[in-house]
Amino acid sequence: MTKPRAVSVHSWPEAILHIDGDSFFAACEQAVHAEYRGKPLVVGGERGIATAMSREAKALGITRGMQNGEIARRFPQCVIVPSDYETYSIFSERMLSIVRRHTPAVEAYSIDECFADLTGLRKAKRQSYEDIAKTIKSELQSDLGLTFSLGLSVNKTMAKVATSWRKPDGFTAIKARHIHYALAKLDVGDIWGIGPQTAARLEKLGVKNALVFAHKSEDWVAKNFSKPQIQIHRELNGGMVKKLELEKAAPKSISKTKSFTPASTDDSYVFSQLSKNIENACIKARRHGMYTDSVSFFLKTQGFETAGRKARLSIHTNNPHELLRVARTAFDELFQTGTAYRTTGVRLGNLRHESAYQPDLFHQHVEVEKLSGIYDIVDQIDSRFGKHSIYLASSLRAITEGNHQGERGTSARRKRDLLSGENSRQRIGIPYLGMVR
Amino acid sequence: MHEENIEKIQQFHSRNRRLPSYGELADLCGYKSKSSAYSLAEKLIEAGYIGRDSAGKLVPTAKLTDIKVLGDVTAGFPSPAEEELVDTMSLDDFLVENREATFILKVDGDSMIDAGIQDGDLVLVERTDTANVGQIIIAEVDNEFTMKYLREKSGAYYLEADNDNYADIYPEGELRIAGVVKGVVRKYD
Repeated sequence: MTKPRAVSVHSWPEAILHIDGDSFFAACEQAVHAEYRGKPLVVGGERGIATAMSREAKALGITRGMQNGEIARRFPQCVIVPSDYETYSIFSERMLSIVRRHTPAVEAYSIDECFADLTGLRKAKRQSYEDIAKTIKSELQSDLGLTFSLGLSVNKTMAKVATSWRKPDGFTAIKARHIHYALAKLDVGDIWGIGPQTAARLEKLGVKNALVFAHKSEDWVAKNFSKPQIQIHRELNGGMVKKLELEKAAPKSISKTKSFTPASTDDSYVFSQLSKNIENACIKARRHGMYTDSVSFFLKTQGFETAGRKARLSIHTNNPHELLRVARTAFDELFQTGTAYRTTGVRLGNLRHESAYQPDLFHQHVEVEKLSGIYDIVDQIDSRFGKHSIYLASSLRAITEGNHQGERGTSARRKRDLLSGENSRQRIGIPYLGMVR
Repeated sequence: MHEENIEKIQQFHSRNRRLPSYGELADLCGYKSKSSAYSLAEKLIEAGYIGRDSAGKLVPTAKLTDIKVLGDVTAGFPSPAEEELVDTMSLDDFLVENREATFILKVDGDSMIDAGIQDGDLVLVERTDTANVGQIIIAEVDNEFTMKYLREKSGAYYLEADNDNYADIYPEGELRIAGVVKGVVRKYD
């Protein structure tokens, strides 16, 4: 085999750092529960399937989506805990704050991943980019008590490649002039943003290896593919195309989906679940100051069959009253008596920033204005006393009976074990480590 | 000068726990354009009510949000002039130094009673792998957290309670330090 040909002669035209929390949810659980350290642990107790696994659980061969019943039978030593998104979110926010100590240019990519632009900092800090990255890694690990994997390179695509190089607890730096060594060892399907379909098409065109793809001309890529692949191709050649998204973009759609156990044939309970999702979606829409006129509803049966309905509204709105009218009709069409359902969901699409009433709907307009005044007040009360301090009667059963009953229906310690002065809706924003003797 | 607007921003902040974007600020104060909102923001930054974070986003200052620290209050004391308003810190800032490394534990038992830490108290702990002898630390012993003084005798570290009913703890292997106690919180009904 011939020596791989470099894609660039530069070292650090840009310095982009990617940071990934190792086994994040499970690691957060082990950070706040001393008794779970070093043990195989699975998150997802309330869902009935594994959502996330600790390093020790992965070593046993437990994978995402495995049924908890099967895990408990085959691996009795494994701890199965309910998800505690509040604690994971606090750790996630802390991860971002720690990285922001070093640079304001941080993109929160997901709950356990972020990108940081370090370009220019080596002069200011009189430190190499590698050393700055190592400092960030050690601060993250010592403050949070979790391990992270970091990748440093010249753009987001290559930073992701670098992170995946050594995991967990790894750090890898790939300068532009070393990109070709890394790509020579990767398949195109290993690159962030190249899905199985694109990988299959590339393979049909005789391109399986990532470096072979990088060495194809841009004309060739443009002829066979479209914009996303052209962007990736440029980044594999050391250019920086994908900018960091520093501000959270307004959502294009809002979805709220919740499962409940056990599955239910009771139409009033299932509808209350849908109603609660509608309320939650509207709360989120109001927080972003956005309005929808296109709503989809869906129900999923115990057998994981999904049926949905889409409805168009005559006005843009974000108050659940408006949506419930169409929800009721959709629900009555979807709900089959005698069938057990496990999930309901709602999706608000076609979002925009203003409500824009149509003039011929004057009467409705007045009523909608009144209702939106009511929801201003509901939001104020919720912000003071916690979410769902006030809720619609149609959501009553979902809110009072909860989503999970029986042995699987446990809730996180954080929600059971309240500190004096906390309530079920609002807790102190600092992770709780339990009792100390 | 901008009292009404400041009040609106305060209300927005206590409702949403963040400051408005320029677009929202324009709506809030009844401006037609974002640029008017921008110049209002500039004035309020100059007056110290708000600031900009390193990402350029508007953030509240203590002057906008916080309870005033009151020293000697004389009856009929006139409203203090603006320059007399000292910088204030929230109780959170007062109790928590390195926020990202701070955790809460609840005390079970009376092993540190003579240090003034009671059953049911909340302790604020800063995560660290190392601690100084004499500090109250949280250590991981047999997969449980324990809170004791860190002591040292002829090169060996051990843990000491502040209650004569408890024996010293000598770790069998390595002493695993989970954090250092930085504060205690107790609420009364």
